[in-house]
Amino acid sequence: MSNTTWRVRSAYFTSVVSITLVLLMIGITSLLIINAHKLSDYAKSNIGFTVFLKENVRPIEIDRLEKTLSIAKYSKSAKFVSKEEASSKLINELGEDFIELMGYNPLPNSIEILLKPEYTQEDSINSIRREILKNKSVDEFFYQKSLVLAINENVKKLSLIGIIFTILFLFISVALINNTVRLSIFSKRFLIQTAQLVGASDKFIRKPFVIKSIISGILSASFASLAVTGIVLILKSDFKNIITVEGIWQIVSITFIFGITITGISGSRAVSQFLKTDSDKLQLEE
Amino acid sequence: MINYKGVSIVRKKVTILENINLSLNAGDFAYLTGNVGSGKSSLLKTIYAEIPVETGTAKVAGYSLNDIERNEIPYLRRKLGIIFQDYRLLNDRNIYDNLKFVLEAAEISDRKEIRNRISEVISKVNLEGRENKMPYELSGGEQQRAGIARAIVNNPQIILADEPTGNLDPDSYYSIMEILVKLAKAGTCVLIATHNQELIEKYPGINYHIENKTLRLI
Ligand SMILES: Nc1ncnc2c1ncn2[C@@H]1O[C@H](COP(=O)(O)OP(=O)(O)OP(=O)(O)O)[C@@H](O)[C@H]1O
Ligand SMILES: [Mg+2]
Repeated sequence: MSNTTWRVRSAYFTSVVSITLVLLMIGITSLLIINAHKLSDYAKSNIGFTVFLKENVRPIEIDRLEKTLSIAKYSKSAKFVSKEEASSKLINELGEDFIELMGYNPLPNSIEILLKPEYTQEDSINSIRREILKNKSVDEFFYQKSLVLAINENVKKLSLIGIIFTILFLFISVALINNTVRLSIFSKRFLIQTAQLVGASDKFIRKPFVIKSIISGILSASFASLAVTGIVLILKSDFKNIITVEGIWQIVSITFIFGITITGISGSRAVSQFLKTDSDKLQLEE
Repeated sequence: MINYKGVSIVRKKVTILENINLSLNAGDFAYLTGNVGSGKSSLLKTIYAEIPVETGTAKVAGYSLNDIERNEIPYLRRKLGIIFQDYRLLNDRNIYDNLKFVLEAAEISDRKEIRNRISEVISKVNLEGRENKMPYELSGGEQQRAGIARAIVNNPQIILADEPTGNLDPDSYYSIMEILVKLAKAGTCVLIATHNQELIEKYPGINYHIENKTLRLI
């Protein structure tokens, strides 16, 4: 291999490496986006409410209510907590036997419900509350309003930050890949001009450059996909339920679509630009 | 083939040639002479539409240079064979592929025809055995001859040669001139820009001379 060929190859290699890195970042970003709802579901998984029951409700009624609540469309789980369980839990927490002090157990029977993530907004909780309070066995409906608000607020904030970052990131990625492709075509600007002088049409000149750019896009996308797959495989055991292999095909597709379209369009635009620059300006460009 | 009437050539607001008339037909063998920097290359560049013609009327191979569209220029250039002062070979491919590029760009796709035409011109310019060399692996004179091969491979109607003998030893340039003379005899219009007086004496032809920004026939 001659010296020049080696230099040409290593320039190509460098551009493939930098495109790979950008696509890898796009892949990781899409991994985060695809798994973002799992993350937010996870954050919301402890949101729920407690229904306190009246004193005189019969066990059979309680049973029925518990069943109804556990199959309600908003509920993830419903669990009956007897007044004895409640008081022993509270005694544990307080470290003081208040029953002995008061002479009776003031805590009522209750049912604890955990909500599905899509019903954790304040207004859906309020409408659930109205419905439940209609039930004659129910005395009180309780949920930790501030906790719900805080969780929802944070999830919203984080999603917004995620979206902004993603958009910013897309711009940077497009710019970086565009630049890399342009740079590799820039070194051939005189070749492009000579090709024009011997009667080649713009389309004919553009074609091999676009093909070569797209090939580098495909190569880079392949490397990036391999790397993302590796990352997913490594992380999935540590982040069960949050990172899974299900989304991997989507990520690989996104990486390829990105790699191919950006390199193709950048390549075509770069050649067009050099086709239209007049020869004096071409000499001056650096 | 080439018809210029009252054409002025301006580059960067400096007038290089003023009100020139030039008329060449198929089969003409012509020289363009003039001092260094007199505008020979510039005149040739207007013929292949690298510099636009803004004043006067200019026609080349059936195209009007005054209002030629950008997308028509490749078609004009396919009717021309241009030999550049600085060769201008495509440095990323060997000589064979340089010639192939011109033919493919002109939408010739028959592999056999491409092969035949290339081996024909390669032997005309005596570059047999050099087809697989890269341009930078050839001497200046060999590159010059490769440039000539490229200019004639697509059977152009007009050949424009800018100092085609600049880097050739007398033996080589005689053989190149023989080729150009033969092509002119076969009906190609040949225009050669040169300082080489000896050339003109040995291979006489029409002589356009540039002096004081004007073109005259001598
Ligand atoms: N790109 C350019 N922009 C502006 N002026 C130019 C440009 N190229 C050449 N010139 C000027 O145009 C004039 C004619 O140049 P040209 O190259 O046509 O001369 P020439 O007759 O071919 O000279 P030579 O015999 O050295 O090849 C010169 O005065 C030169 O300075
Ligand atoms: Mg010149």
